[in-house]
Amino acid sequence: MSFISNVRAVAYKEATVVRHDKALIGMVVAQPIIMLLLVGYALSYEPANVPWAVLDRDDSPLSRRFLQDVQATGYFLPWQQVASYDEGYAKLASGEVLAFVQIPEDFERNAYRSRPDVQVLLDGADPVSSARVGAYLAQIGQHFETVRDARARAGPGEGLVVRQEFRFNRTLDDSRFFLAALAGILLTNLCMSATSLGLVAERENGTYEQMLALPTRPLEIVIGKLVPYVALSYVVLAIATLGAGIGFGLWPRGSVLALLAVTLPFVLASLSVGVFVSAMARTSAQAVFITVFAILPSMVLSGVMFPYQLMPDGVREIGGVLPLRWYQIALRRITLRGAGIEEVVAPALMLTAIFFVLLVLIRFRMKPRLA
Amino acid sequence: MSGRRLRTLLQREARATLRDPFTMVSLVAVPLAALLVFGFVLSTEVKGLALGVLDASHSAASRRFASALAANGTFAVRPYESRDALDRALVAGEVSAGLVVPPDFARGIAAEAAAAPAELVVIYDGGETVLAGNAEGFLRALVSDTVAQVTARERGAQEAARRARLELPPTPTGVDVRVRALFNPELDGTRFMVSGTFGFVLSFLTTVITAISIVKERLDGTFEQLQVTPATSFEILLGKIVPLGVVFTLDVVVMMLAGGFLLGVWPVGSALFFVIVSAFYVLTSLAIGIVISATSATAAEAVQKTVMLSIPLIQLSGFAFPLRNMPRGVQWLAELFPATHYIRISHAIYLRGRGPVDLLPELGILLAFAAGLVLFAIRAMERRA
Repeated sequence: MSFISNVRAVAYKEATVVRHDKALIGMVVAQPIIMLLLVGYALSYEPANVPWAVLDRDDSPLSRRFLQDVQATGYFLPWQQVASYDEGYAKLASGEVLAFVQIPEDFERNAYRSRPDVQVLLDGADPVSSARVGAYLAQIGQHFETVRDARARAGPGEGLVVRQEFRFNRTLDDSRFFLAALAGILLTNLCMSATSLGLVAERENGTYEQMLALPTRPLEIVIGKLVPYVALSYVVLAIATLGAGIGFGLWPRGSVLALLAVTLPFVLASLSVGVFVSAMARTSAQAVFITVFAILPSMVLSGVMFPYQLMPDGVREIGGVLPLRWYQIALRRITLRGAGIEEVVAPALMLTAIFFVLLVLIRFRMKPRLA
Repeated sequence: MSGRRLRTLLQREARATLRDPFTMVSLVAVPLAALLVFGFVLSTEVKGLALGVLDASHSAASRRFASALAANGTFAVRPYESRDALDRALVAGEVSAGLVVPPDFARGIAAEAAAAPAELVVIYDGGETVLAGNAEGFLRALVSDTVAQVTARERGAQEAARRARLELPPTPTGVDVRVRALFNPELDGTRFMVSGTFGFVLSFLTTVITAISIVKERLDGTFEQLQVTPATSFEILLGKIVPLGVVFTLDVVVMMLAGGFLLGVWPVGSALFFVIVSAFYVLTSLAIGIVISATSATAAEAVQKTVMLSIPLIQLSGFAFPLRNMPRGVQWLAELFPATHYIRISHAIYLRGRGPVDLLPELGILLAFAAGLVLFAIRAMERRA
């Protein structure tokens, strides 16, 4: 059948091009390593080194114990003692501290009668950190034993306790969350940028016309051009998975077969986005430009960096058009939660659907240029 | 330096920029799209999450507990019949958190004496770490409050009577931590992201458009023509920078208006001060664009280099991830990007309403970057000539 042999011929030609593209090879090797280090070590929403100011009007053993309890959580830097409300407020307003804790004069005295108060002002300019720091402080307060001897106050009411359990990631370590999606980030970068330049460059160099003069159909050209990148993508997947495993001890908990299987429709869909951009753009500079603006929303809207579950309706659905949305869902299910094939069938089907829609669009877009 | 020559160069650049439809579209579309996309993605508010509830107690108390949780409206409560079904739902990502009501729940509520207290288990999906981190404090408080509410109803009356009879004070336990956020009481992510988007758009778009424009001129040969005219390198550079700088500064104003009217985010501090600071930052980005173009052979290469530079821009500049959460070494590295300083200043002006005096050190750093990069750009252009 000529379809297969035509695709194979175009694939061979494209593989030769890829092999000689030093910049691309560099990207395939360097980018995973840079991103692995960034994601594994640097990126986190979990508050750390939080600077805080304290105005302790009570200055009693109890208030100091409360402050030490806060310090002991490990999220905070040593606190800065301030002498007045204004001083603390100024530190907060200048961004010098994230939280300003005020303990009232009657803190210890109140502890024996009712629940004493602590006031906390947070810097709303950093909403992510502030929301979490606020929740931590409230929790410390809730469990703070104002009266040391627990049995003295353990009257009725202790019949029920609430226990928290973090499944799949016991310490709620952000880096595991980002590392699990690392392959998705890398493959999006690779697939979209690799193919977006391809067609435009061929058109600019005139080799596209040469190919059209061959007995190949446009669809065969497109598929043939994708094949080498699919192979390259699996290399990147292997680098990302082994890197996360060896470097950070995060091995896929679920089925590796499912991981390999769901990667194929994702890679095809992402490559098609690139081809589509390439078919739209007039110059290669435009192509790269458009690609960048296809990659960035992928990172932001897909849920790789920000939880998509919390995005407002409408925005969440727009993100559903992006291949990366479904791939990161599958990746995290397999890597973190130990999912098998059946749990990733739904995302895989979505990816396949996106691929076919793009293929049809590309087919329409390329047609007039053949006339 | 001749005023007439410079004016001609300025006119030329302005016309070239205004005539190119692709540039014009990206100048308007990219900032607007970035504002709308970034403005909505970051949310610290926990709502509408699916919460799987396994009621092993099957008692009136536990049913009341579940319906009280559902009535709160923050979580969409889904019932599960067995621990297995709940676990599978967590693996498949159907629910973001699980709650196991123990068989002895009713006894626990009634506070009957027992060897061990009944244990209510809250399970978070660590696979969605960020989400779980945001939901943790919230769900815990909600569960405790709801338990207290149900408990109060179950034994409220008789307990209060007993306590009154024995003249016991209410059991002292815990500390009320009253949390209030300044500048942004709802801890709304939109304000934070909008103010950071300026840094993102200006760094990225400015550099790309400058780089494309210069490389294109070099490929078309018009750059060489410029260089054989009596114009000096500095004049040619100014001729490039000034019109683009004005255009991008206007872009800042457009973004401020769009952020204000579409997303309701206006700067707390002085808008004029913000525009002036932004103009200096535009200068920095333009200079980077010129350096990139001087070292690139094709337009595509120039854009690719910009993209490589823009990876750290999102991850390390404090745009999305707070810098203080990072290891010390990475924090030092981040200080080397002008974008880090500009984004810090944007947050300070936009969210906290800071003025020039408070921001003096950061402004100094930004100015130093601008001066250094412009000098470097001139050198790069001369070397290229």
